[in-house]
Amino acid sequence: MTTEGGVQYSKIAEIKGPLVIVDDVENAAFDELVEIETKDGERRLGKVLEVGNGKAIVQVFEGTSGLSISGTKAKFVGKVMEMPVSKEVLGRVFDGLGRPKDGLPDPIADKFIDINGEPMNPEQREYPKDFIQTGVSVIDGMITLVRGQKLPIFSGSGMSHNLLAAQIARQASVVGTSDDFAVVFAAIGVQYSEAEYFRRSLEESGALKRSVLFLNTADDPAIERIITPRVALTVAEYLAFELGMHVLVILTDMTNYAEALREISAAREEVPGRKGYPGYLYTDLSTIYERAGKLNGRKGSVTQVPILSMPSDDITHPIPDLTGYITEGQVVLGRDLFRQGIYPPINILMSLSRLMKDGIGEGSTRADHSEVSNQVYDAYSRAQEVRALAGIVGKAGLTEIDLKYMNVGDVFEKEFLSQATDENRTIEETLNVLWKIVSKLPKNEITKIKDKFIDQYYQEE
Amino acid sequence: MASNSALESTIDKILTNTEKNVISNIRLALVDSQQKIDSAIPKLESEYDKIISDGKKEANKIEKQITGSSDIEARNKQLMTLEESVSKVFSEALDQITNTARNADYSNLIKTLLNESTQILGTTQITVLTNSKDKDIVRSILPQFPGAELSSDQINCIGGVIVKSKDGAMTFDNTLDARIERLKPLIRKEIASKFGVGN
Repeated sequence: MTTEGGVQYSKIAEIKGPLVIVDDVENAAFDELVEIETKDGERRLGKVLEVGNGKAIVQVFEGTSGLSISGTKAKFVGKVMEMPVSKEVLGRVFDGLGRPKDGLPDPIADKFIDINGEPMNPEQREYPKDFIQTGVSVIDGMITLVRGQKLPIFSGSGMSHNLLAAQIARQASVVGTSDDFAVVFAAIGVQYSEAEYFRRSLEESGALKRSVLFLNTADDPAIERIITPRVALTVAEYLAFELGMHVLVILTDMTNYAEALREISAAREEVPGRKGYPGYLYTDLSTIYERAGKLNGRKGSVTQVPILSMPSDDITHPIPDLTGYITEGQVVLGRDLFRQGIYPPINILMSLSRLMKDGIGEGSTRADHSEVSNQVYDAYSRAQEVRALAGIVGKAGLTEIDLKYMNVGDVFEKEFLSQATDENRTIEETLNVLWKIVSKLPKNEITKIKDKFIDQYYQEE
Repeated sequence: MASNSALESTIDKILTNTEKNVISNIRLALVDSQQKIDSAIPKLESEYDKIISDGKKEANKIEKQITGSSDIEARNKQLMTLEESVSKVFSEALDQITNTARNADYSNLIKTLLNESTQILGTTQITVLTNSKDKDIVRSILPQFPGAELSSDQINCIGGVIVKSKDGAMTFDNTLDARIERLKPLIRKEIASKFGVGN
């Protein structure tokens, strides 16, 4: 923070989409914060995208509608955008630019941190291996989330990803440690009703006091969406690495973020990449996703669950495609399961947590976790094949063992996958339901579990 | 009469058999009931445990809701009270600054502000705007800045200057109001720490 202010320029050369081009600018810096003042004295924030030849291209976060070339002034503030942080941000609700939205004053800042963050030194990174309990059986049991991991949820339009996001935010906890846990929730371009649902849901469950909400609604300018995940991650990093908390960051919906990026790219007349998204979409996404992790010698961690809705449920769309390259697995919501009314409609056959193997087992969840999970995965996969076969030959044409697998598929969906939105299952409960499913199979079909676990947990009918 | 005794013996046999059957059925029923009771006990116990555990979960959830919302409410009240106190300190401080004597120290301050402004704008070809209280001080200092002139327009501020390049393209706000505004978050933190918050 400096006592020096910035120079205000009044020569606006052009206003193009979300961009304002300012003429005769000296000493502006890349990413510098800019205060745009309209003819009526209204102030908007922006940042410098490009400088050169006496011109500066400024991206206005709150949009350029109502701005005119004459009368608009641009003040170059002399610093990059910073987020005031302190422990006081917990329990607060902010807008997409980090300004209070709960009618309370600005938090008393302990520090002002550049929202672009500093890249983590790869050498300082610690391999994530500690379990986070979400209370959602299918995630805890079969796609386990680990502290410091980035595990996206791939959804489709209209599916229940927001319900799932809110449930994870309410229920998530670290087990077996007294370390503090916090949730940073960034809603990017969501409907007002959804934003209100997230706020109310955390407030009513009592989880708000350990959460920070950043709400950018659909009617907020699209450009603000570029900033929302960054301010959220800045707060998360402060809570994690300065205050030693384990922080879960939920970013929903990253598709809206990518679309805002496309809008700016088009306005800058950049050469479009796949589906009009900029060629640097991968690099840009990685500046967000790579802010998850753990650092050697530091107590806290930042775990990310970005949620993105795949246009037309297309997993090859550039956003899920590029996200998948950066993150450590994915949770995929299935349209078929959603249509059957199953919640959460997670398609486990398409989902994967790459770090699960390191976060489960003796000492973190239970010794039999990995094996029972693999067995159920295998059985559900077989059940799907049997269902397809039954569609052709009918149930009468199936063998006795096929029918057992079919039953396993039904029990899996009804008792394990299906869960009420306010049902918080412990890992013990989750593993017991997995054993209930495995116990529907005859012992000779159980090939992935050691005998000692079968003797201990198999439930005879 | 022989037929009567045969009849009686047949009836006796039937009665005996029936009695045996009834007794055996009663015994079987007893065993069956006993087995049902035996098997029902663990089920009842597990049902009982489930009800207790669900109840505990629900109680836990409600406790979290109540403590969570009351914690937030208390914190919010504390924040509002603190903000009120900070605002009072602020307005008191601003009043004091407004009424500062326009002495030699103040003249030096204005000179520093003008120096800083011309350096940032990169020119002394400037128009200076100030308030009625500082006008005379600014006028006396301006000869040290060749090309600088005092605007006849006055601005509403507690002190300091606004400096514009003569072509009007660049403006630098170096009023005390703007400087305080820029430092407001730090000043708030300082004041809050006096109240024992954020230490």
